[in-house]
Amino acid sequence: MIGATVLVKEIAGGTTANVYGYYSVTLPPGTYTVEFSYIGYNSVVQTIDLTTNRRLDVELKTEATELDEIVVLGEDEEANVTSVEMSVSKLDAKTIQKIPAFLGEVDVLRSIQLLPGVSSVGEGSSGFNVRGGNVGQNLVLLDDAPVYNSSHLFGFFSVFNPDAVKDVKLIKGGVPANYGGRLSSILDVRMKEGNSKKREVSGGVGTVFSRLAVQGPLKKDKASFLVAGRRSYVDILAAPFTGDATLYFYDLTTKVNYNLDEKNRLFLSGYFGRDVFRFDERQGFDWGNLTGTLRWNHLFNDRLFSNFSFFVSTYDYGFAFGENDLDKFDWESRILTYTFKPYFNYFINTNNELLIGGESTLYDFKPAEAVAVSDGLVTDISLDEKWSIENALYIDNTQKVNNKLTLKYGLRFSSFHYFGVDSVYNYETIEPGFRQQQTFFRSFDNNEIIKSYYTWEPRASVKYQIGKGSVKASYMRTAQYIHLVSNTAASTPIDVWTPSTNNIEPQIGDQWALGYFRNFGRGNDIEASIEGYYRDNRNQVEYVRGADIFLNEFLEGELIAGDGRAYGLEFSVKKNKGDLTGWISYTLGRSELKVDGINRNEWYPTRFDQTHNLKVFGNYQLNDRTSFSANFTYVSGAPVTAPTLRFVQQGLVAGYDPLESRNNLRIPATHRLDLSMIIQMKRIKKGKERKNKDELVLSLYNVYGRRNPFSVFFSQDQGAVNLGSPVETEATRFSIVGAPVPSISYNFKF
Amino acid sequence: MKRIAIIVLASGLLGCEDPIDVTLEEAEPVLVVDAWINNKPELQIIKLSMAQPYFDSSLPPPVSGATVVVSSSANETFIFEERNTPGDYVWDPSTSANGIGEIETEYQLQIEVNDEIYVSISQINRVPTIDSIKFTFKEELNQFQPEGYYGEFVSADPRGEGDTYWIKTFKNGIYQNRPFDLTIAYDAGFSQGGLIDGVVFIQPLQDSVNPLNEDLDEIVPYEIGDSLYVEIHSITNDAFFFLQELQIQTQRDGGFDEIFAEPFENVPSNIINADENGEDIIGYFNVAAVSGSGRKLTE
Repeated sequence: MIGATVLVKEIAGGTTANVYGYYSVTLPPGTYTVEFSYIGYNSVVQTIDLTTNRRLDVELKTEATELDEIVVLGEDEEANVTSVEMSVSKLDAKTIQKIPAFLGEVDVLRSIQLLPGVSSVGEGSSGFNVRGGNVGQNLVLLDDAPVYNSSHLFGFFSVFNPDAVKDVKLIKGGVPANYGGRLSSILDVRMKEGNSKKREVSGGVGTVFSRLAVQGPLKKDKASFLVAGRRSYVDILAAPFTGDATLYFYDLTTKVNYNLDEKNRLFLSGYFGRDVFRFDERQGFDWGNLTGTLRWNHLFNDRLFSNFSFFVSTYDYGFAFGENDLDKFDWESRILTYTFKPYFNYFINTNNELLIGGESTLYDFKPAEAVAVSDGLVTDISLDEKWSIENALYIDNTQKVNNKLTLKYGLRFSSFHYFGVDSVYNYETIEPGFRQQQTFFRSFDNNEIIKSYYTWEPRASVKYQIGKGSVKASYMRTAQYIHLVSNTAASTPIDVWTPSTNNIEPQIGDQWALGYFRNFGRGNDIEASIEGYYRDNRNQVEYVRGADIFLNEFLEGELIAGDGRAYGLEFSVKKNKGDLTGWISYTLGRSELKVDGINRNEWYPTRFDQTHNLKVFGNYQLNDRTSFSANFTYVSGAPVTAPTLRFVQQGLVAGYDPLESRNNLRIPATHRLDLSMIIQMKRIKKGKERKNKDELVLSLYNVYGRRNPFSVFFSQDQGAVNLGSPVETEATRFSIVGAPVPSISYNFKF
Repeated sequence: MKRIAIIVLASGLLGCEDPIDVTLEEAEPVLVVDAWINNKPELQIIKLSMAQPYFDSSLPPPVSGATVVVSSSANETFIFEERNTPGDYVWDPSTSANGIGEIETEYQLQIEVNDEIYVSISQINRVPTIDSIKFTFKEELNQFQPEGYYGEFVSADPRGEGDTYWIKTFKNGIYQNRPFDLTIAYDAGFSQGGLIDGVVFIQPLQDSVNPLNEDLDEIVPYEIGDSLYVEIHSITNDAFFFLQELQIQTQRDGGFDEIFAEPFENVPSNIINADENGEDIIGYFNVAAVSGSGRKLTE
C-alpha cells in the first residue's frame, strides 16, 4: 500500500511505505508497539520484541463502512504538514469517481483539472497545463511507462480507465531526482493489482463508453490479474444515419502480478488503445498508444529494496485519403521508445532514506512515412527516421534531521545523444522570428552520434515545522530533451514529438517554490496550504511567423528558441472528513515567453496563460446510499493573436497588425457548474446481501449552459462575393460544449 | 486536411459558434497594394487603397493620384493609369508594343504617392500547359462527395524544384474566389517540405477544381451543360508563402477545424519603402505566366 504509515510509538517516529508498499525501519533491540495505518482502513497495532532483524508483512482491512474494495491511497493525516513533499497533489480512485463527469464518464485527467495549478485551454485540448507549462512539458506515466498522448477524442476523455487505476500523483515542483525528462510536471498513474483473494467482475454502461473489468487471483494470495476494457458505442447507435462514416475508440488495460517468493515480485502491465475516425471505407484517420511494462521487485536485504523496470511505449497516428489505389495519400507518424530503469531504495537508518538509480531510453522517431499516389504514379514523401538515446543517473537522500526539520536533496545527471539521420542540416537565421534558412552540414553514418547534450540537475527540498504548521521550500533544475511540436491553439492528436538535434537545444528549467502548510480542526479535518512558485526556463520551443509544421522535411527551420517564465500563487483548502467533503483551490498565475523577432522582442503571454483559476468541488453524503457532488470552475480567458486592421488582396480580406503582437487579445473567461448524484442500488434483497453491488450515476455537465470559448477567430464572410461589393469581417467565438449535457450511467460490481 | 475535417463535424460532435464583439487595439492605417498582374491579353489592374480597422466592412478607401510604373529587365516600361475607378491603376496590353511574358524576365514595380516611393521586384516564372480537362462520373462516396461529375485538370509540374503556382477555377465562366477556393501548389504538391517534383499534380490539387457548396460541407459536382475552365498562374516562391499565409488566415469556417487552427500571423509583403524610415506599405506584387484550358461537359 503506497504511503501507508508505519509509526513506532516508542520513538514517536517511523516511515512510510514506498511505491511498491515496501517499508523498512531500523531500531535498537527492544520491545516496540508499531501501528500501521492508512485512511479508509482499520489500523493494525502490533507489539514486537526486536532481537534480530524481522520481516513483517501486514495486511490492512478496509473499515467496515467502506463497501468498495478499491485500494485507497491513504496517508498519515498529518502528511500535508509533516511530509517533506510539496507541490504534490494526489487523487485516489474513490475521489475520482465522485467528481461529476462529462457525459457521465468518470475521468482521471478531468479530475486533476480541479487541483491547484492545473488548467487546460478548453474541452477540445488533448492535454493539460501545469503552472504555466505547455502540454508537452508534462511527463505522463502509466506504471512507469511514458504515455505520449494521454487523450481519447481530442481531450474529452483520458486513456486511463478508472476501473484500472489505483491512484494518481501529480508533482508540480520539487521533483525528486528519480524523475526527469520534462520541465513542467510528473503525472504518475499507478494501476491496481488484481484482487488476489477472489474473482471480481465490474463494469458499467454509460452514455459514451461501456466498460468491463475482470480481476481475480491466478494463484490465491500469490498471483492475480486485472483486465479492463472500454469501448465507445456512439458509432453503433449512429450507424443508420452516418452510413460508412464512423467514429469510435476503445482501450484495454491489463496487469498481472506474481509474488515469486518473499523477496521477489513480478509485474507485467500493458495498455492498448485506439481512436478511429472514418469518412468512408477507405478514408479516415486513427491514432493510439501501446505500452508494455515488465517490473521486478527484488529485496536484497531488510534495508535494500530494488526494482528493475523494462518498458516499451509507442504512440502513432495515420491518415488515409483517396478513393482507390491509383489516387491516394497515406501518411503515418510514430514515436517508439524502449526504456530500462533500475531503482534502488536503501533505508540507511530511521532518519535517512536513499534512492539511487538510473534510466536509459532508446527513442525511434518516425515523423512521417508518407506516400502520394497520383494517377498510379507513386511518390514517397517520407521524412527521415531519427534516433536518440537519453540516459540518467541519480542519487537522492531524504534526511530527517530532527522532529521539525527534514531535508531532501539529490542530483540527477542526464544526457542525450542524437543519431541515425544521414543528411544533417544547419539552420541560419535570416531575420529573427522568421523561417530559418537550411544549409547542408554533412552526412553521418548509421550509428554516428550527431549531437550530444549533458545536464546536471540538482534537486533540493526542505521542510521546517513551526507550531502546528510547516514551511516548505524547494528548488529543482530539470532538462527536457524531446519536444512536442504543435502550432495550433490547443494540443491535438497530430502533434509530433521531435528530439533535440544540432539545431534544437534541450529545454532547461529552474523552479523555486515556497509554501506554508497547516491543518485545522479537530482530527485535522481541514488541510490548508499556500504555495508560491517561480519558473525560469531556457530554450523554449516557439514557432516562426507563419510556421509550416505539416509534413515538413525542414521542420527545424520553423522552430526557434526563447526564454520562458511562469510564476504564481496557489491556495488550497480541503475538507477530508465528514458528510461534506471537498476542496477549494485558487491559483493566480502568469506564464510568458520572450523570443527574438516575436512580439517586438518583448515578453508576451503563452497561449495557456490564464490569470485566475478557481476550482470548487464538494461532495455530500446524504445517507448510506446517496451522495451528491458539484464542481464549479472559473478560469480567466486565454490569449489569442488578433489583427487590428484589414486589407483586400485579389478579393480576399486579410487581417493585419502593424504592431506585430503575439497573443494580444484575451478571450472571455470560462466558467461552468457541473452536478452529479450517485445512487447505490439496494444492497440487501429479501434479507440476503445482493452479490451485485451496483449504482446509478446521474450527471448534468455545464448546468447553466454557458458557451465557454475554446477560441476566438477572425474571418471574412466565407460565401461568394460579387466584384465590387464590400466583404464583411467578424470575430467568432467557437465553443465546443454549448449547452447543458445530461447523462445517466449504470455501474456494477460482483 | 481542412476539407476533410469538416465532415467530422457531421459525425455529431457538439460545437457552436457565435459572433461576438471584441475590442481590438487601435492602429494607424497603412497603405495597401494589390499588384497581381499576368501575361493574359486583358486589362491589367494594380489597386492602391488604405487598410481599415478590422471590423470596418465598407469598401476599402482608394488612394488616388499615385504614379504606378512597372519596368522590366528588358528595358520596357509599362505605365498604369487611373481611369474610371479611383484607386485602380490600369494598363492595357493591346495599346502597347511590348508585352509582359518572356519567362524569367525581372519586373520592378515603382509607386510614388504622398511623397513616398515604394519599390518591389518580382520575376515571371515558367508555367506548365494543361494537357486536358477531364470529367468523371462518380457514385456517392460519402456525405461530402455526392454522386455526379467530378472535374480534374491534367498537367505535370516540370522537373526542377521550386516551381510555385496559383490554380484558379472558373465554373460556368465565374471565377471561384471564396477563401476555400484558393488553391496553390509547390511543385506538384502542397508545400515546400513535401518534395513532390516533376510529376503530375497530386490528386487533391487536381480535385480542387470541384468547388464546395455554400455551407462548405459538401462538393457540388458538375452537371451536363456546365463548363470548367482552369488557369495555372506561375508565382514566385515568396508569393507562394504569401498566399499560404493568406489561406491560413482566410480559410476559417470554424467548427471542428478550430481545434487544428493555426494562430493569426501577419501575411508578408514584398513591397518596401525606398526610404527605410518612411511609411509602411503592405500587399503583394507578382507577375504571372498563365496557361489555361477549358471544357464543357456534354452527354
